Amino acid sequence: MNRAGRALRMSYLVASVAGVAFFALSVALLGVWPARVLDAQTAAMAPAHPLEPTTSERRGRAIYAREGCAYCHTQQIRYLDSDIARFGQPTLAWETRRDTPQLWGTRRIGPDLSRVGGARSLDWHYAHLFAPREIVAVSVMPGYPALFDGAPERPRQDARDLVAYLDSLGRARELAGPEGEAHAREGCHCPDDEMAQMAFHGVLNAHPARARRTTDAPPALPANGDRGRGTQLYLQHCATCHGPTGGGDGVGSHSLVPPPAKLAEHEYSTERLSAALWYGVAGSAMPAWRDYSLADRAALSATVQALSAARPEPEVPAHLVPLGAQVYAANCVQCHGEKGDGRGAAADKLAMAPANFTTQRLSLTEALRVLRAGVHGSPMAPWTTRLTDAERLAAAHHVRSLYRAAPAATEAR
Amino acid sequence: MSFGLIAAWQLIVPDLGRDAAWLGWGRVRYAHTQGIMLGWLANAFFAFLYHAVPILTGKPVTSARLGVWIFALWNFAVMLPGWVLVLAGVSQPLEWAEFPVVVDVVVVAALALAAVQFLPGFFRRGMESLYVSSWYIIGGLVFTLLAYPMGNLVPEFLPGAAGAAFSGLWIHDAVGLFVTPLALAIIYFVIPASTGRPVYSHFLSMLGFWLLFFLYPLNGTHHYVYSVIPMAAQLTAIVASALLGVTVVIVVTNLFLSMRGAGLLPRDPALRFVGTGTFFYVIVSLQGSAQAQMAVNQTVHFTDWVVAHSHLAMLGFASFAAAGGLVHAWQRMPEARYNATAITWAYWLLVSGLVGMVVDLTIGGLVQGELWKSGAPWIDSVTASRVYWVARAHIGTILAAGFIALLVGLTTGPRGAGLAVRPAPAAGADNGLAPRLSPVTEAL
Repeated sequence: MNRAGRALRMSYLVASVAGVAFFALSVALLGVWPARVLDAQTAAMAPAHPLEPTTSERRGRAIYAREGCAYCHTQQIRYLDSDIARFGQPTLAWETRRDTPQLWGTRRIGPDLSRVGGARSLDWHYAHLFAPREIVAVSVMPGYPALFDGAPERPRQDARDLVAYLDSLGRARELAGPEGEAHAREGCHCPDDEMAQMAFHGVLNAHPARARRTTDAPPALPANGDRGRGTQLYLQHCATCHGPTGGGDGVGSHSLVPPPAKLAEHEYSTERLSAALWYGVAGSAMPAWRDYSLADRAALSATVQALSAARPEPEVPAHLVPLGAQVYAANCVQCHGEKGDGRGAAADKLAMAPANFTTQRLSLTEALRVLRAGVHGSPMAPWTTRLTDAERLAAAHHVRSLYRAAPAATEAR
Repeated sequence: MSFGLIAAWQLIVPDLGRDAAWLGWGRVRYAHTQGIMLGWLANAFFAFLYHAVPILTGKPVTSARLGVWIFALWNFAVMLPGWVLVLAGVSQPLEWAEFPVVVDVVVVAALALAAVQFLPGFFRRGMESLYVSSWYIIGGLVFTLLAYPMGNLVPEFLPGAAGAAFSGLWIHDAVGLFVTPLALAIIYFVIPASTGRPVYSHFLSMLGFWLLFFLYPLNGTHHYVYSVIPMAAQLTAIVASALLGVTVVIVVTNLFLSMRGAGLLPRDPALRFVGTGTFFYVIVSLQGSAQAQMAVNQTVHFTDWVVAHSHLAMLGFASFAAAGGLVHAWQRMPEARYNATAITWAYWLLVSGLVGMVVDLTIGGLVQGELWKSGAPWIDSVTASRVYWVARAHIGTILAAGFIALLVGLTTGPRGAGLAVRPAPAAGADNGLAPRLSPVTEAL
């Protein structure tokens, strides 16, 4: 063999060794080294005793993996302002330390689920998993009826596990609380690292649908919302539960506990609708709609107010007025409050905030129905054994009289 | 392919297959990626290697019986159980690695057997006389053997972000170390064999080969930009992605210069397929370099833009190369059926379908990215996508028709009809082929 041939062979040999070396380098540099850094980060930043997933949650995770959920829903909030504003604080290494194999995902058709825990009620999840379009009309998510025994209110163990898993996402960091955040910040040792600092930007869970229980005033809605736009939004987003005419009889209403409000049977002040749209109704499947603009929420508010507009007001028989006040004072004030504003002494201890009668007025039939049957899934019990027919009628008239429509609501009507 | 089509239709008719758990979108989507890479591309590559390796090495492959074994393993111990298991709910939720571990073991065994089947001839001949296609075949088979276990097994043990770092490596290695080398081996083989002229520059061929093998593995982390994975790793991948684009320009320039004179639309359908594949290769690579950059990535990541990108790579580049390779081999087998009309149809259906899908999903991806940034309610991005998804599902039907036409083209028509459409043979056609493909030897 000539010299050129030998030189060529040598150069190929060198290149071959280099090729394998580069592959090894890639594994070391982009695989092994990051894994070590992330391990160290996890050790330094994880809370001392982070909550471990339960057996049910682990099984749910396997179902999530099996069904390819991660191919439409990421579990990785990026260090980007737009991600942080929409989903919450970026995913830290320790938060996914039990995720084997990882479920970060590479495509977002549906929203990121890193922090979905607590953002939806469990019955919402069941109804939505069983038949997504019965809850979110324009959803493209496949339904998973095989996880149920024929109906959303009859979940099999698989559905319970999956929902338990979904409801656990983001929980460990949330439960670590301010102490956990402080510990992570300290463990990060990164006061000057702009990107690492973003892990602590914004709110932890920014899920716009997450219901909050608060009496803080929501952003005030302008009066006279665009009813045309409102109707369009209502039919797209609200009708699945509340029904197309506000009868509480939408296709997705049947399995929700407590059932969706019969909007047409209530008169709502703008203040009340503003709060429901901004904070949701904690303890029910009613999510918040914070991601909708002020104009859209005002439009929805006007549309919902119009649902109950044309109803004759029943006369209050004069002899029932004192009886109503008496029954109310004896039985209702503990929860609904003396003024009917839902701030009774026991209110805070209840799973769901008691109705505020000053900002919403039930129709007489609806008030009587609730007194007779209670509200399934809420602390409101049936009163048939405690109150006579006349007492219930009087109480119904009384709570209706507590309504104080805000000026805006009056104008809208 | 058909799984992809089902998944595409499910996005616009979500209740399709609602009552059959095995037809759930996620499972079908798992079957789709593995089917394209292992079912279609790997089988096509192996088929082409049976044509090319004896010519490149001057010797038959190791053993015909081993060939039967590899075929049986690949199709009846990898694809069939892989699909059945994935649809039955036994899988791993990792991109390009969806088949469960038990199938992964068979894949590695079959790849090792393929290395035994195809590679010894190259080494017996001596490395200095290897044509660039031979390098790509050796590189592809050897590095896939290294990368496949890493990508498919390591994330089973490493959690969360660390596992994702390895997944990112594999997502890129699957394309860069398995699909790309074998597709380029075909392109480098078909061009000179069809035009009758050696490639433009063997120096550029080899430069491109080594740069690709150095740079491809370093790209992996660009799948997780803005994540908690250390920034240094992300930046390494971003820089490597940019360099990779430059390298592909070198490779493709060499390929196009080798094709000069063949015209924009060569008459030989094999050359037409690989030429178009080469064109898509440079587009998809430059696109890849761009979308790895942080300014672009923050908008397009997680959107349909990336779906368009991967279709351009696996369908535009790799499948066109594979189709060209098969057509080329079929033209040289007197016993093979060959239907020239169907192959022409296949070409045009695939080109129009692919271009349509890439344009459609790229625009859709930009719309999604912008809506996400605008802070609009999430569901708005879903409703805005619908028009693009409807278009994609219909375009997918065109692509499926293209693949059916290709199948018809290679299984109907008179036996040996392919010989007639072969480009005008240079002197001593068959015997002249091997020397033309090993001009490295000639140069010495």
